[in-house]
Amino acid sequence: MTAALRDLAAQYSAALREYCEQGGESALLRAYQLGRRAIGEGVGALEMAALHQEALVGVLSMLGADENSRVATRTSEFFAECLAPFELMRRGFQEAHSALRDLNQTLERRLTAALQDFEAAQGQLYEQRRIQAVKNDFISIMSHEVRTPLTSIHGAINLLKAGLGGDMNAQGQRLLDVCYRNSQRLVRLVNDLLDLQRIESGTMTFNLRPVMLAPLLEHSVDANQAFAGQLGVDLVLNRVPSGLHVRVDTDRFMQVMANLLSNAAKFSPSEGKVVVEARRRGRQVRVAITDHGPGIPAEFRSRIFQKFAQAQPASERGGSGLGLSITKAIVQSLSGRIDYESKPGRTTFYFDIPEWKPGASSHEGAGEDHWAAGH
Amino acid sequence: MGSRPLKRILLVEDDPDIQTVTSLALGSFGGYTVEVCSSAQQAIDSAAAFAPDLILLDVMMPGMDGIHTLEALRRIPETSVTPVIFLTARVQPHDVARYKELGSLAVIRKPFEPTTLVETIDGIWNEYSGQAD
Repeated sequence: MTAALRDLAAQYSAALREYCEQGGESALLRAYQLGRRAIGEGVGALEMAALHQEALVGVLSMLGADENSRVATRTSEFFAECLAPFELMRRGFQEAHSALRDLNQTLERRLTAALQDFEAAQGQLYEQRRIQAVKNDFISIMSHEVRTPLTSIHGAINLLKAGLGGDMNAQGQRLLDVCYRNSQRLVRLVNDLLDLQRIESGTMTFNLRPVMLAPLLEHSVDANQAFAGQLGVDLVLNRVPSGLHVRVDTDRFMQVMANLLSNAAKFSPSEGKVVVEARRRGRQVRVAITDHGPGIPAEFRSRIFQKFAQAQPASERGGSGLGLSITKAIVQSLSGRIDYESKPGRTTFYFDIPEWKPGASSHEGAGEDHWAAGH
Repeated sequence: MGSRPLKRILLVEDDPDIQTVTSLALGSFGGYTVEVCSSAQQAIDSAAAFAPDLILLDVMMPGMDGIHTLEALRRIPETSVTPVIFLTARVQPHDVARYKELGSLAVIRKPFEPTTLVETIDGIWNEYSGQAD
């Protein structure tokens, strides 16, 4: 028996004897406290019963036989009170066990639900990937298949327009122009669809190299002047600050400019001007294209960079509705951002891309952009 | 820069309509002599006798495709080093990389503008003959 247990046994005997002699609530409270102390010192219910039995024998030996009945009653009460904390602890364990079991069941249900959600999400992801792959394949095959007849149609119209079929009267010429414009539209649509497929499948490549911005912008404006001219619009390039360089894929940069310039020209009033400007903006270069058209309708603004977004029916402006979404993706691939400001009579689309400083590490490409497809 | 004249073009293209448009554009605007072949076999059969200065080669053709046609033409002495331009709708980046690996001068994407085809080919040819000199 440990010293603590001996001390507890002595206290128990004294308290039991006191209760047998005097009774009273305060003695029962002491019994309860003794029980709690016993639990605190790691004494189990059986050990407690042994202590009680030992104390009971001691008490009985000191009292007369006629008092046995009263002693038996009181020691039973005392012992019951002493065991009360054990009972409370047992109930506590039972409740805790029950709560743990409930919690366990809840967790199991949640885990099962989470697993089911995960499996469903995984299934959806696989399905989305499968659909995306099928879509990419379809666009790729469709684009190739459409290109073959389109090459003949567009080519033949082109040759007729160049006069290879002999002279044509004004009505015939008008009809030929209709064919030409629409075959061009179809060519653009097929090219845009392929670009979109490359962007979405992450296979669009960029041959980045440092170039001076001014000649690149001059080239862009020159290349789109003829188209703007057909609409009676003049493209004007303001003076570009000297020494501005950017690190871009020149073909893709030209594609961005062609899209923004042709949009600006299409929405300009006849005899209008589209102004191109470039300036430093911190470590960025901002290129801005401003037209003086009617402005972007408020209801169209939130989806202007989305696929197949058009402010007007395609037949009125001749676009596929993919241009701005492709343009945005290209600008982002050049580590840039694109946005616009618009009010009636003035719309500016601008994009910011990092300025390249000569001497900075360029990871230059092989200078082979002139070779790339699209001659 | 001394530039070798471009006179004879071997056009290998299975689509008859594209043959018509392309050969008309090359003949009318460029004044080239064009030998049109509808298949790899026809190209192989004509190569030696025609001895082209340049080969315009489609990629997707029934039977032997453009890539294998080029390999076959390279085994014929008259076309073993003749410059090649691929004329194709297959212009995914990995396709273009493959054409370059095969030593082609360039790739012209379908659909192309026949009225500027000659200008494009002349530009590629001048650059090639400038480098070759």
